Formats: sequence, structure tokens, C-alpha cells
Amino acid sequence: MNPVIAVDNLRVRLGKREILKGISCRLGASGVGKAIGLLGPNGAGKSTLIQTLLGFHKPSAGAAQILGFDCHRQSLEVKTRIGYMPENDSLIADMTAVAFLRLMGELSGLPAAAALEKAHETLFHVGLGEARYRNVGTYSLGMKQMAKLAQAIIHGPELVILDEPTNGLDPAARQRMLVLIKEMKEQHGMNVLLCSHLLHDVEQVCDEVVILKDGQIVHQCDLVAERQANKRFVQLQVSGDDRNLGAALREIGAEGVSEAPGTWRIVLPVEIEVNALWRISARENLRITKLAYRRDTLEEIFLKAVGHLQPSPQPEVAHGRI
Amino acid sequence: MAVFKRGYQRYDGPLTGPVTRFLAVPRFVWPKLLGQRFVVILLVLSLFWPLMCAGFIYVSNHADLLPSLGSGGDDGIRKMLAIDGKFFAIFMNVQSTFAILLAAIAGPGLIAPDLANNALPLYFARPLSRWTYIGARMMVLFGVLSLVTLIPGLFVFIMQASLASTAWLQANWYLGQGMVLGFLLYIVMVSLIALTCSAYVKWRVVAGALVLAFFFVLAGASQIINQVLRVEWGSLLNPGFAIYTVWCALLGVEPTDDAPGAWDCFTVLLLMLGALLAVLLRKLRPVEVVS
Repeated sequence: MNPVIAVDNLRVRLGKREILKGISCRLGASGVGKAIGLLGPNGAGKSTLIQTLLGFHKPSAGAAQILGFDCHRQSLEVKTRIGYMPENDSLIADMTAVAFLRLMGELSGLPAAAALEKAHETLFHVGLGEARYRNVGTYSLGMKQMAKLAQAIIHGPELVILDEPTNGLDPAARQRMLVLIKEMKEQHGMNVLLCSHLLHDVEQVCDEVVILKDGQIVHQCDLVAERQANKRFVQLQVSGDDRNLGAALREIGAEGVSEAPGTWRIVLPVEIEVNALWRISARENLRITKLAYRRDTLEEIFLKAVGHLQPSPQPEVAHGRI
Repeated sequence: MAVFKRGYQRYDGPLTGPVTRFLAVPRFVWPKLLGQRFVVILLVLSLFWPLMCAGFIYVSNHADLLPSLGSGGDDGIRKMLAIDGKFFAIFMNVQSTFAILLAAIAGPGLIAPDLANNALPLYFARPLSRWTYIGARMMVLFGVLSLVTLIPGLFVFIMQASLASTAWLQANWYLGQGMVLGFLLYIVMVSLIALTCSAYVKWRVVAGALVLAFFFVLAGASQIINQVLRVEWGSLLNPGFAIYTVWCALLGVEPTDDAPGAWDCFTVLLLMLGALLAVLLRKLRPVEVVS
């Protein structure tokens, strides 16, 4: 299946600084609604990558393709197939929402009558139906975010690029936005590239994640597979001298990492029962204060990728396969 | 089914042609512009001169009526009433004043709000290039400025052609052609000046004043250069003078002695248009890049 976004050794230089330093990845699958999360600390190059995909920056080397079209050389073909919701306030303030969306629809290639119909339809879809004849400039922040989402999807694009869509939203509006994004991929078959600092949002809606740091991809993972693999993680809290616990775990074929004094993250092989941990603790004279199965959350994946957290023990190592 | 009951569906119908898409922009802007009181007042005022010219043309083509009105019918009056290049040059000069005023009112509201609202990424994330965006904005001004330049001009020319003999049309068809070309060049120049001012100045009033100042300041500067250096080429910097000289050449009117020629003026105008376009393109970027 063809990827939605294919980036090959992409380098982008803005002024004297190289922002993207030769990144390569293949994301999404054409024709299948998938959401891809784009994460990274500030200054990692997320916005530059998005802007390069939109054809705003010329790559200094390498290439980026969306749905098989080169983002720079075939930018008009690309732009016909994508919708973009910018991060900052980006609206035509002195227009009603209907007129604004109709103009955006027509510029995307919709005939005038269809654009008007879609404008109403999309505004109702994002929850602005009652306010659609108000000037966009009079909208609240949450309504503006919804209007920006509406203009990004009015023409039914194959790929929607959302830059911080939940910025400034209250919890209810944020939840509504996430539901809309989920619907976009699950019900309407759109691919979504979601750039956000809110890891919980990404975790809720995304199927794949790419983490950028210093203009390079430091981690790329399939979140669904990652979640399944991480079911064997156990979090253990003990009191007492746990210096020998690591060695004891290795004896039974498990692997553990001490996150903090008395706190361990353990990968338990399938054939080993949790009871083994009680036995080891008793042998090492440790008192278990907490034992819980836990997922390797996206936050941990992110922190590990950007180097702020010790890497998790690998399940394969625990099995003794490597 | 009512829209609110139907729910959102992805659009999968036919798309319009990429060339005609940008026409949506002027279609949305024109009704707003024509709803402005100052624009309507200017449009009405701009009709007076063409109506007076139409009356003049009528009298000119019915010169035989003058003796009956007791005005005599000598050659001097007939020469004064002749519809020639000079007549059209004066007509264009007067109408161009209204065009500048209209551009000063309509122009600033075209790009400045998009920059203030950070709306350019929305345009450029769609199949619309910077050139097309400028073309769309120029189309707005072209439509409005045509109402005070090309359309009344053609009306006056067609009226003269219909009242005069076929021989007049055969001998003077170049006047119509010259007027159309002259006005087109003028509209492009005024539009680019207005758009550039709109792109660089956020406040509409200031941007409008800047459009007017562009003509007055350069006219003053050109006079200063001429007087201080005791030269004539300083007039080339005056866009009003340059365009009038080109019009005179297109309409077959004798140029002013010692002043720069039509080709020189035309070349300077082209350079000016190129510079304005370059400045405008530099400002119209979807994202600001800080080096």
C-alpha cells in the first residue's frame, strides 16, 4: 500500500541554519484513514516539516511526497488533496463563517453551488451551525479553532494536516475536537497528520507516531503495536535494600530498570507468573508496596526518545533472544 | 434533506479549472467594495466628466447647428470642437484622477487584512500560487477601476464613432486602441501601487494616503531634480508625467519639447512595475522566515 507521506533524506535550510537534517520516513497508507502524530520538543523542526510538506519551503536536498506527488515540484497537485489547519489565528475576520468557508471551498476547486452547500454542512458538522452567519472575527477562541478545522475539511481532502488543533480549548471543546478528528479517519477515511504538544491527545487519536528532535527523527512507532507489546510491563515499588533486585530478576529471565529508589519497571516474559516477583522480593527481604501492570505511555516513549528518561528494558533481551 | 440533518460527507464531485478558481476572490470582494459609501460617491462623480464629454461630442458632430444658435461657424470653433487625440488625452487625464482616488480607497483593504489576520497560509495551502493571489487581487481593482476608465472611455469613443462618419473611424481607430492600451497600463500601475501599499501598511487610512503620496511625492521629487540639476530627465521619476507621455504617444499627440520621450517613459514605467511586483512578492509569503 502506498504511503500518504514519503520523506526521503529531506534537508531544509532556512537562512544559515539547517532545520531538517536528512529525515526519511513513510507514514500512513493511501486509502486507509490513519492518524499520524508528529511530536517533538520546541525547535525540533515539526512546523518546518509541515510547511515543507505544504510546499512553503524548498528542500535543500532530498524530497518529500504526499500521495505520490512531489511537495515542491507538484505543489498544486498536492494542495488540491490536502487540508491545512494552522496553529495560529488564521482567519478572514470580516467575513461570516459561511462566506469564509465558501470562499475557501471555491479556492480549493469546488463549484460555487457545491461550496455553499458544503460550507453549511461542514459548519454544522463542527458545531458552528447556529453561529454560521456571524463574522468569524467575533468568534471565541474555541469557535475559531472549529472554524479553522472546518476550512481544512470543506473540500474533503485525503490528508488533513492539523497543527496544534486543541490549543486553547476548554476540556469539553478539546474532547469534541478529538472526536471530530477520530471521525475524520474512521468514518470519512481521511488521513490525519496531527502535530501537538499534548501527548494525551496524540495518544487518544493517533495510530502512528513520529518524534523529531534537532531536525532528525529519533523515534517512529506504530502505537497500536507498541501498546500491545507493552502489556507485559510491570511497575513494582518496594521498600528495603533493592540493590540486588536487578540481578535476581535476571536470574529468572526478567529484565528490570530502576526508575527511582524503590521503583522498578520490569519486563516480564510470558512464561513467568507475577508470583515470581513476590518470591524474589521475599528472598531479597523486600516489602512490595505496589505492583501494577502498566503500559509504556506515549509520554514515556516521548521522553525516552528525546533523552529525558532511561530506556525501557527490551522484551527480547528479557527473553534472552539477543 | 436539511443540511443539519444530513451530516458531513466528503466532497467527491468535479472540481473547477485551476485557472478560473482565483476569480472567486474578486467575486467575494466586489459586493463589499460597492457597498462602501465613498466608493459609490466617487463612481457617481466620475460619471460627470464622461457625460460632459458625450455632450461635447454631440455638439461637435452637430456643428452645423451652431450658426443657428448665433455662435457663428468659423474654422476656429470647428477646430476647437475637433474630436482628436488631444481630446482623448484630456479625457483620460481627468478620469485617471478618479482612478487614483478609487485605488486609494479600495486598494488598502485588499492585502492588509490578510496579513493582519495571518490568512495567507490559508490561501497558499490551497492550489493558489503567489502570482495567482496577486492576479486575483489585481482583478478586484481592475474591475473597479475599469468602471471609471475603460468603460466610460469606450462609451465616449463608441459614441463619437457612431455619430461621426465612417471616414472618421477609419482615420482614427488608433485612438480607441491607444485609449484601451493606455488605460490598461495605467490600471496595472495604479493597482500594483495600491497593493504594495496595502501589503506594507497595516492601517487602511495610512495605506490610502500612501497611494496618493506615491504620486505627489515622486512628482515633487522629479521637479526638485529638474530644478536643482537643470535637467529634464527628472520628469521620468514622475509616474503621472510618464504615463501621460505614453498616452500622448499612443494617441498621436505632439510631445512636450525637451521632455523625455515616450519610449524612455515606457521603459521607466516597466521598471517601476517590475520593482513594485518584486517588493510585493517579497512580502507575500505564507510564513515568515527568520534567518
